[in-house]
Amino acid sequence: MLNWVERVARAMAVIGGIVLIALILLTCMSVLGRGLNTFGHSSLLEGLSQGLADLLLATGVSPINGDFEIVEAGVAFAIFSFLPICQLYAAHATVDIFTSTLSPAKNRLIKAFWEVVLTAIILLITWRLYAGMESKMSYGETTFLLQFPVWWAYAASFVSAVVASFVGLYCAYARVAEIITGRHYLPYTEGAVH
Amino acid sequence: ADVTLRMHQFLPEQANVPQNILIPWIKKIQEESGGRIEIQHFPAMQLGGKPPQLMDQVIDGIADIVWTLPGYTPGRFSRTEVFELPFTMTNAEAVSKAYWELGEELMLDQDFKEIKVLGLWVHGPGLIHSKEPIRSVKDLNGVKLRAPTRVTNAMFKNLGATPIGMPIPAVPAALSKGVIDATVIPWEVTGALKVSELVTNHTTFGDDTLYTATFVLAMNKDRYNALPDDLKAVIDANSGLNFSAFAGKQMQADDAAPRKAAMDRGNTIIDLTPDQVAEWKAAAAKTTTDWVAEMDAKGLDGTGLLSKATDLIAKHTK
Amino acid sequence: MSMLELGYLSFPVLLVLIFLRAPIGLAMMICGAGGLYLAMGGSSMVLAKLKSETYTTFSSYSLTIIPMFLLMGQFASLSGMSTSLFKAAESWLGHRKGGVAMAAVGACAGFGAICGSSLATAATMSRVALPELRQYGYAGGFATATLAAGGTLGILIPPSVILVIYAILTEQNIAKLFLAAFIPGILAAIGYIITISIYVRVYPKAAGTKAPVPYSERMKALLDVWPVLLVFGLVVGGIYLGWFTPTEGASVGAAGTGLIALVRGNLNWGVLKASIIATATSTAMIFFIVLGAGFYNSFLALSQVPQELSGWVVSQGFSPWTVLTLVLIFYLVFGCLMDSLSMILLTIPIFFPVISVLDFGMSQEHVAIWFGILVLIVVEVGLITPPVGMNLFIINAMATKTKMSETYKAVIWFVASDLVRVVLLVLFPVITLFLLPD
Ligand code: NA
Ligand code: NA
Repeated sequence: MLNWVERVARAMAVIGGIVLIALILLTCMSVLGRGLNTFGHSSLLEGLSQGLADLLLATGVSPINGDFEIVEAGVAFAIFSFLPICQLYAAHATVDIFTSTLSPAKNRLIKAFWEVVLTAIILLITWRLYAGMESKMSYGETTFLLQFPVWWAYAASFVSAVVASFVGLYCAYARVAEIITGRHYLPYTEGAVH
Repeated sequence: ADVTLRMHQFLPEQANVPQNILIPWIKKIQEESGGRIEIQHFPAMQLGGKPPQLMDQVIDGIADIVWTLPGYTPGRFSRTEVFELPFTMTNAEAVSKAYWELGEELMLDQDFKEIKVLGLWVHGPGLIHSKEPIRSVKDLNGVKLRAPTRVTNAMFKNLGATPIGMPIPAVPAALSKGVIDATVIPWEVTGALKVSELVTNHTTFGDDTLYTATFVLAMNKDRYNALPDDLKAVIDANSGLNFSAFAGKQMQADDAAPRKAAMDRGNTIIDLTPDQVAEWKAAAAKTTTDWVAEMDAKGLDGTGLLSKATDLIAKHTK
Repeated sequence: MSMLELGYLSFPVLLVLIFLRAPIGLAMMICGAGGLYLAMGGSSMVLAKLKSETYTTFSSYSLTIIPMFLLMGQFASLSGMSTSLFKAAESWLGHRKGGVAMAAVGACAGFGAICGSSLATAATMSRVALPELRQYGYAGGFATATLAAGGTLGILIPPSVILVIYAILTEQNIAKLFLAAFIPGILAAIGYIITISIYVRVYPKAAGTKAPVPYSERMKALLDVWPVLLVFGLVVGGIYLGWFTPTEGASVGAAGTGLIALVRGNLNWGVLKASIIATATSTAMIFFIVLGAGFYNSFLALSQVPQELSGWVVSQGFSPWTVLTLVLIFYLVFGCLMDSLSMILLTIPIFFPVISVLDFGMSQEHVAIWFGILVLIVVEVGLITPPVGMNLFIINAMATKTKMSETYKAVIWFVASDLVRVVLLVLFPVITLFLLPD
């Protein structure tokens, strides 16, 4: 089961990462397009050769229309996709200053408790994200420049949030099972290893 | 106080609109209700979220009153865009009155059916602030600029400029770093954004106005309905046509100081002649016809909206 | 119970939850959501906020810089570039007492010059520097504290997200604020290096020794960092020359670093996947905290606690210098609990009008800029003061073998260095205003 859950969480993170890289490349292309466009309009190039300037502009180089909106929508999806692996690897920031003095059994209890609460919150977030998506859909709200429906971006994030919920449920179940059986089910019980 | 209301909006407290419109409005409500209504003002998005969410926040009751732009959520309040079309604006007071009247007729039960609308107004004449002087439409060729509304984005694209999307607080950095060459906003906002320090040219359009943007002051419907009648009356007395007209007039009045500051810095104010403006009007006409067609296709009767809006603006413009 | 009382009560509750090992973001979210629930007498507001706030927080364009720089750090680290960067710094500094830590601070300062975010600087430089510090026998808490402090250079040295927000809130010139932040930022780096040299004399066992490297090797090590310098130069130069915005700079940096790794043959599918997984865990952790902080801050704003506290501070009729000191102390205290950006957004609109009418014997603009830099520094200190210091959490989560308590103990030294600098900047405004044109 762990093997399977871990594979899903890793796959989700990698998909999110590929989207992030795509956004990085898109932004770079937009910067390049903007630079060439400015160069084509510059008095320097026009002075050197009007023909060359016209030729450059005729290729249609310009910043990518609505790059800003694509980045915002894409990065939200990426971050939702990063949630499952963060939870599975117990990578959320915590303070162990007091609990480190307690017994291992008590620590297991505390961890299980927070895992359950965290999962409950992620389920809540997922449910509300769906409600948000529904409301964006019903209002027909679009983005500014590209004018694509905002709910598309919500829907993509919702898919990731559903995966995060399943991974969360598994983690909560495993932590509770760890208390009962005393065995380890999760990969990194002492915090994140990167 | 019997009732405490939370007002949420996106500008810092010391900006013009909070200082000259919203806070005086709050004080007036508090006084006229004999202290029975208290309004807590949360400027600069203190209650969380981003400006485009203000409308949902007032519908959902996160805030009781919000001040926002319908244009922040494109596609949702399309009818308001009729006042944002190029060269329909005359002066902010007249257009705000027209906006309120058309709003009462067509929008309150449709676009704004989920909220209690307290005021509808527009800002003073919007203009172009640029590094290189812009006189004719061809000067826009390849100019990277940040346009404020969906309509102006479409217009500048049609006119040959390259609109670049960014939130308004990013404008000063983008201007100073050359990410954009120009920005399009009314004078009133240029003070806070230091635009006059970053550009040297300001293109105005004589007696005509390139564009304006629409605002709405909205209240949560349930909160309003739950008020006792005498308190409802206090709110009603301070909302509607007169308040909208006042707010529009005040915003245009707030244009004066930043405009003077730009002139004192020695910036060039390019005031186009009627002949020059005619070229711009002709070039911008496509944006208007496109918009009408788009609204017609959405079933919102773009043709009717435009003629009603123009008639109302003409009626109120002296 | 009144909303104000609820607000005050939330501080101890938040602390207890955090000390009971609740994930920080979760603890803030519980306090924020719980507070809103109690204050509103129902769950409608919490549910309404959740409808859009998670998405909006995660889709923030300016925060996109965080995963981008994290990925850039991954590429730099896994492709061996960060190692060559460190080898160069170490070859020149490493043989000194505490030299590797000093090199880490220097690298943080360099990274701070291209990154506007403290969290991103701390996280990225930790990935690069922690393994090296461990390898040369630096004590766990000393290493994490050095990097937490070094990370604050991300917002101290311009560009800085916090300064941009301050400039907009107070209607000040961003370029002038950046210029004014420069000398205090350099002073911070120097202060941390001095702190390291004192620390290793007090605790000689906290740092291992490293044999000096011959000059020929030092030069060679220096030459090895050319790809890093190229990318950093492109990013720094590009941002300062106006080729792109900080977020675009982060994209160019990440793409450039990835490209160099690819050309060098260090970036295969497995390495790419590992880079992504590491970026993913850190990014999710940071954004979950940002989300929780957003909730908690909405509740605090609603409860009016910050307004009440600041109102009290200014109602006492003290001299300008007393008010300034009290305001700075307020930030230091609140900085122990709150996220810096939200704290600025909440309090500057209240404090700034008060400070700007006080007479410090200089022009209003100079007061505004000077105050901005002081606030920047004290909120930055908040990032490393126990118990709630975002930089501490982020780095400690990466250094799994180091106990938080060890980090707390060592970071006090860096906090002391920050306090000395704040006192200097308060007493001598000229340090801040020196570079400004008249
Ligand atoms: Na920086
Ligand atoms: Na702190």
